[in-house]
Amino acid sequence: MAVDIFRGFKEHSVAEFFKKNRQMLGFTGKIRSLTMVIHELVTNSLDACEEANILPEIYVEVKELGEEHYQVTVKDNGPGIPENYIGKALGMMLAGTKFNRYMQQRGQQGIGGSGCTMLSYITTGQPVRAISCNSGLRKEYEISIDLKKNKPIVNKLLEEQTEEHGLTFIGQYKDMKYEKSNKSPFEYIRRTALANPHAALTFKEPTGEVVVFPRSVEANPPKPYEIKPHPLGITTHDLLEFAQHYGGEYRKTSTFLQEVFSRITPNKIAELKEVAPDIDFEKPPTELIWEDAEKITKAFQKIKWIAPPMDSLVPIGKNQIEASFKNIFNPEILVVTERSPKVYRGGIPFMVEVGIAYGGGVKDAGKTGEIMRFANKVPLLFDSSGCAITETVKSIEWGRYNLKNFEEEPIVVLVNFVSVYVPYTSAGKLAISMEDDIEDEIRYAVMEAARGIQKYISGKRRATEIATKKKVISRYVPQLANDLSVLTKKPKEEIEKKLIEIIEKKYSGANESEEEEDELLQLEDNKNNEREIEGENE
Amino acid sequence: MSKETQKKLEELGRKMATDIENEKGPEFETALRTKSNTIYDESIGCLRVGEKKEVRKFMSVAQARTFMQTVAIAAKTKQFLEQNLHTSIRGLFYQLKFSLGDDMDEDLFSEQSESNALLEDLEAALKLKREDLNLTTDRKGFVAGPMVIRDKFGGEEITIDCRKQGRSGWSIPSDVDNGMEIMEIEADYILVVEKDALWQRLNEDQFWKKDNCVVITPKGQSTRGTRRLLRKLADMKLPIYCFMDCDAWGWYIYWTIKTGSMNLAYLGRDFAVPEARFIGVTMSDIEEYDFLQKLTIKAKDVDLKRAEEMLSYPWINRHKEWVKELKLVLKTKKKLEQDALQGQRLTFVGDYIRDKIEKKKWLP
Repeated sequence: MAVDIFRGFKEHSVAEFFKKNRQMLGFTGKIRSLTMVIHELVTNSLDACEEANILPEIYVEVKELGEEHYQVTVKDNGPGIPENYIGKALGMMLAGTKFNRYMQQRGQQGIGGSGCTMLSYITTGQPVRAISCNSGLRKEYEISIDLKKNKPIVNKLLEEQTEEHGLTFIGQYKDMKYEKSNKSPFEYIRRTALANPHAALTFKEPTGEVVVFPRSVEANPPKPYEIKPHPLGITTHDLLEFAQHYGGEYRKTSTFLQEVFSRITPNKIAELKEVAPDIDFEKPPTELIWEDAEKITKAFQKIKWIAPPMDSLVPIGKNQIEASFKNIFNPEILVVTERSPKVYRGGIPFMVEVGIAYGGGVKDAGKTGEIMRFANKVPLLFDSSGCAITETVKSIEWGRYNLKNFEEEPIVVLVNFVSVYVPYTSAGKLAISMEDDIEDEIRYAVMEAARGIQKYISGKRRATEIATKKKVISRYVPQLANDLSVLTKKPKEEIEKKLIEIIEKKYSGANESEEEEDELLQLEDNKNNEREIEGENE
Repeated sequence: MSKETQKKLEELGRKMATDIENEKGPEFETALRTKSNTIYDESIGCLRVGEKKEVRKFMSVAQARTFMQTVAIAAKTKQFLEQNLHTSIRGLFYQLKFSLGDDMDEDLFSEQSESNALLEDLEAALKLKREDLNLTTDRKGFVAGPMVIRDKFGGEEITIDCRKQGRSGWSIPSDVDNGMEIMEIEADYILVVEKDALWQRLNEDQFWKKDNCVVITPKGQSTRGTRRLLRKLADMKLPIYCFMDCDAWGWYIYWTIKTGSMNLAYLGRDFAVPEARFIGVTMSDIEEYDFLQKLTIKAKDVDLKRAEEMLSYPWINRHKEWVKELKLVLKTKKKLEQDALQGQRLTFVGDYIRDKIEKKKWLP
């Protein structure tokens, strides 16, 4: 189906195609569509701010205009968009700045601001409003898309002087629904704040309630370093995007592949030809259709590649996760694991960051057994079942960590999957595919953090136990001292004093066995992991 | 005795105080009173507690309260001894039923049942009897016959002649050791009769006078006082003959007198009379006395179960006479009450006893 539609890709328009295939961009379902709009806009804002080295300050507002009719406002303090780019950025599909570079960036996720403009247009018939402040000027526009030609329609409404900088996007949407669930814009913003402690986020709900997530780290994360995309991380959709955007510059597909992607050499082209004999690598890349792109990306998976560089990974960071967890949940106990990068599919570097927060503010927030998934700091709210993170976290034997009823415990497990190439399960890019290397690493990382929680819980339990024991015994001291005094004629006070001393001594330094216990648990975990891995290999 | 007991109590306290001075949690050792640590000691012919001990520790959360309670009983009974006052366990309970403190919602003792096991601990640990601690127990047994008792009580000293107690007999006190003495006894033997009704029969018949014996009824299961009295009488080389029902309850009463009970095994030989003999009634009596044939009753399940249990006890199945008797009961599924002997003629009871003793027809 999609193949047939895409065949007409050239004749009609990219915009037309996406209009008919909203689901490919994740715009399905009433709740999900609204969250996805906010996701696209917030992601753009964060990327723009970081790119310009500005600490992000983002304001998001959802206003109810009517039944299933909302206005979304996203305002940032980024660099804004120069006038000659505003149309391209917000009114033309597949024209974002992100094709100029390929790195571990959030924006791999969707179709960006133009998608939001398009969606506004096709659900309400209304243009969106954009206010860009840069170079001392504040300019207000109305923007929509000529769907047939994939061309922006820009109407400047206002221009005035300002000292501010940043972009404000205001769009109207119908056929959507705001709900305060764990898939809602609110949750999206909360999780974004959690994974982006350098950002200050404010969210105004349709009810008028304003929630502020203040910044907890006063520095932008290091800029990810730019690399050409590696063939193993490319999806059909990605390849077509690149072909559309860059293809015009190359006569042959083979040259286009070698220039745009890393590790593709003439030798590799020869290998690809063997694996995909019916693809004409000599034809212009702009003539590639969905079917071709699909075959090429399948061929990519079949041959051996030199791995992309490891140091292209930029995690949130241990201290940052700790800071933002404290900021947002203020949990009773928090354990973050920091592990070195690993590879999957024999060569793609990735990293797993895990933070587990337990009790305290987590309990107050009514969160129980919650798994917060992130890919390159972007919250994954949908398609949780079938995601490597969800499935792995759920498969863990939580009873071993004193968290037997994981689902009912006041616990939040954050897992951030970091990679230049995130293996999503579908075009919607909301779940990570279940691959052995990835699941093992997630399991190790979660177990490591869980041990920290276990240690705390058992320590606390032990302390309570000791205190209880002490209390139980102590309450009988005066009577015992009295009776021993009757039996021995020794002064009661002396016996009582001595007894209290003995109790204090016995129930103080009782924490010796704790470290030992932790080591044992770790040994056991390692053994279990080995067993599971062995089992899988058999 | 009282002085000796006081010393034992003081010694217990002193040991604990020494523990405390040595920065050790106070503790004391007592015999392990479980079925597995209850053994039949052939050399003394009764049940006693084995060698296994257990230690009660104040520093153990599970034991702190009971430890404190045990010491409270020790201290309180020491005061009873000093004041020469007796009380029942219930009296002791009320003496110790007070709040542990104004700010505490907890009494030293909240129920009497709490104190029973602790008292047993104390008895076993100090190797003394609760009677030694001036604690009285319920009385039940009655005596008639040629026995004279001297009783020092309430600052008075009186002499009691068990021949002159009329239809009610002399009531056995809970403590027959402290302040009580058998001054003279001219009987040839002691007859223990399970049921009060039969005892009244024999008393009315003046059986004790005719046969020169002392007739005692425990009125069912023997109290501690009765058992102690029987022990003392056995120590005076008087034969002890027991006359019981031929059923589970009767056997149980007999074996408790003879070998002691599991519960009180820690008291050992002081409360057992291995010399006791069982003169009847038995199932074999049916063959001997025709009229009893028609007077048997159907045995209840509990009787049969008890008979089987008894067959499994080494101290019982070592006697082939008992094995034979028990097997007969299991086979016929019948039982026989001692009251049945009155079936033909009321005074036959005495004849029966005389006959059994003369012909030495008894079970060991």
